[in-house]
Amino acid sequence: MEKSLNPLLIFLVIFISWLSLGSGSIEVNVVSGLWDWLNSIDNNDALIIGEIRLPRTLLALVVGAAMGLSGAALQGLLRNPLVDPGLIGASQGAALGAACVFYFNLFSGLGALATPLAGLIGAAITLFILLGLSGSIVRPSIIIMAGLALSMFTGALLAMVLNFAPNPYAMQELVFWLLGSVSNRGLDNLLVLLPAFLIGGGIIWSQRRLLMGLSLGDQVAESMGLQVSRGSRFIILGTAMLVGSAVAVAGNIGFVGLLVPHILRPLVKYRPDKLLLPSALAGAIVVCAADILVRLLPPGRELKLGVLTAVVGAPFFIWLIWKERQRWL
Amino acid sequence: MALMSINNLSVDHRLQSIDLELKQGEVLGLIGPNGAGKSSLLSALSGLVNHTGLVEFNGINLASLTALERARSIALQPQFVESAWALSVHDVVSLGRLPWGDCDQKIIKSAMQQANVTELANRHVDELSGGEKARVWLARVLANQADVLLVDEPVANLDIHYQRDVMNLLSDYARSGHGVIIAIHDLSLAARYCDRLCLLDNSKMVKSGRVEEVLTDKILSTVFNTDVFINLESNPPVVLAR
Repeated sequence: MEKSLNPLLIFLVIFISWLSLGSGSIEVNVVSGLWDWLNSIDNNDALIIGEIRLPRTLLALVVGAAMGLSGAALQGLLRNPLVDPGLIGASQGAALGAACVFYFNLFSGLGALATPLAGLIGAAITLFILLGLSGSIVRPSIIIMAGLALSMFTGALLAMVLNFAPNPYAMQELVFWLLGSVSNRGLDNLLVLLPAFLIGGGIIWSQRRLLMGLSLGDQVAESMGLQVSRGSRFIILGTAMLVGSAVAVAGNIGFVGLLVPHILRPLVKYRPDKLLLPSALAGAIVVCAADILVRLLPPGRELKLGVLTAVVGAPFFIWLIWKERQRWL
Repeated sequence: MALMSINNLSVDHRLQSIDLELKQGEVLGLIGPNGAGKSSLLSALSGLVNHTGLVEFNGINLASLTALERARSIALQPQFVESAWALSVHDVVSLGRLPWGDCDQKIIKSAMQQANVTELANRHVDELSGGEKARVWLARVLANQADVLLVDEPVANLDIHYQRDVMNLLSDYARSGHGVIIAIHDLSLAARYCDRLCLLDNSKMVKSGRVEEVLTDKILSTVFNTDVFINLESNPPVVLAR
């Protein structure tokens, strides 16, 4: 299973992408639509595929991969299977940054890119405060406490922004944005998301030996010549880039980063270094599949992607805890 | 030439002016009351805590080695080890190869054989008993094939069967051309398995030398503040508080 896991997940990513391009209220020919769009031929199929479904599919895939990968990395670093990537406060920071765009009309010259960019800046500020709080020695308990404190503080500021929203429409827009979605976003969002994903993912990937070494604790990892403090900061930086950019572009997509690594862990023999790639791939599959489901629901008021992942994810999480409990009874 | 020589080593308030030598093929025991500085000495030698003074490994200043070079030469088994994940025994032992950046199966298998954990290779570590775990942690450091092994309380919480197994394993490793430093509370086991002893108390070295030079009634009763029964002639030797 371990060896065939990644090829299987890659196949599923391709399959779900194809399904996503073909899913929607209007029937289109995916192949000819994609071909026509690539060759700048103007027709309905090309327009629907190129301008609506392709950005939506790619964003869902990258956001999902970012959440899955960051969850696996953070759980490995903090040696805790119940850690959510939002724990380090980056997602709340990103949400606050993006909310400021709605409220203060920041970066108005950037158009649709204003929200993700402000989100990324919000995540970066939170990250610097977190690293400043954690000090030179990165300890899981300090990271968890500092992340929790920052999340609460940024959450409070976000509530204040909502409280003083200039008008009900601005508040509604902000709340809907926070609920999480990949619809109505152009390919230009990938300009923010993709570089952050590649750099953040690369940073985490470069520290996979440390994640494995940390399995037996800080002391053992350090005695094996691994740079625990520096590497831990790199992992936090990479995670914050992934979570911050994902939230900045798509709002809060909860539970993916928590559940996906948790489910996959037995399939990679619990190795934190081997969990990274499958978590990224499975995260992409889950978010893309959830987004297809959102589109297949009866027309009317759209169910937000973040709401769906939370509504499905939370009971699933409860079931996992129940199953885990049965093991120890 | 000594495998490792320690000159005037100090660690803030935890250790003061330690001078010690470890020879090839030797098991050196660090003994002393709780808080004497045994674990701090092992941490300093493995580069985990900053220290002053000179530590030479094969004549080379330890401070001039990179973290990876040091980790390839000196392996540490801390007192408290727990795996955060239900890793397989094979994967835990493979961790010993991390400083080398390889997964040399021949060395990993040999380490598992030495520690007698080959039959546990596919088991998850969280399913093992305390004694089995202790042997798996040791197999991990053996897989590093380091010249010097630093082991902190390897037999704490083990039954007498596993105590003998683990101490024999460390003895055999030293005899095969390496050096082993063990921090140990059990003075009878220290007397039986260590070639030389170093007695620490209050961050200072009280005495170092051959077993019979260190384990004397006068020295032990002063350091441990209790009367001690010592019989080094019996087999195995016995050192107990009266």
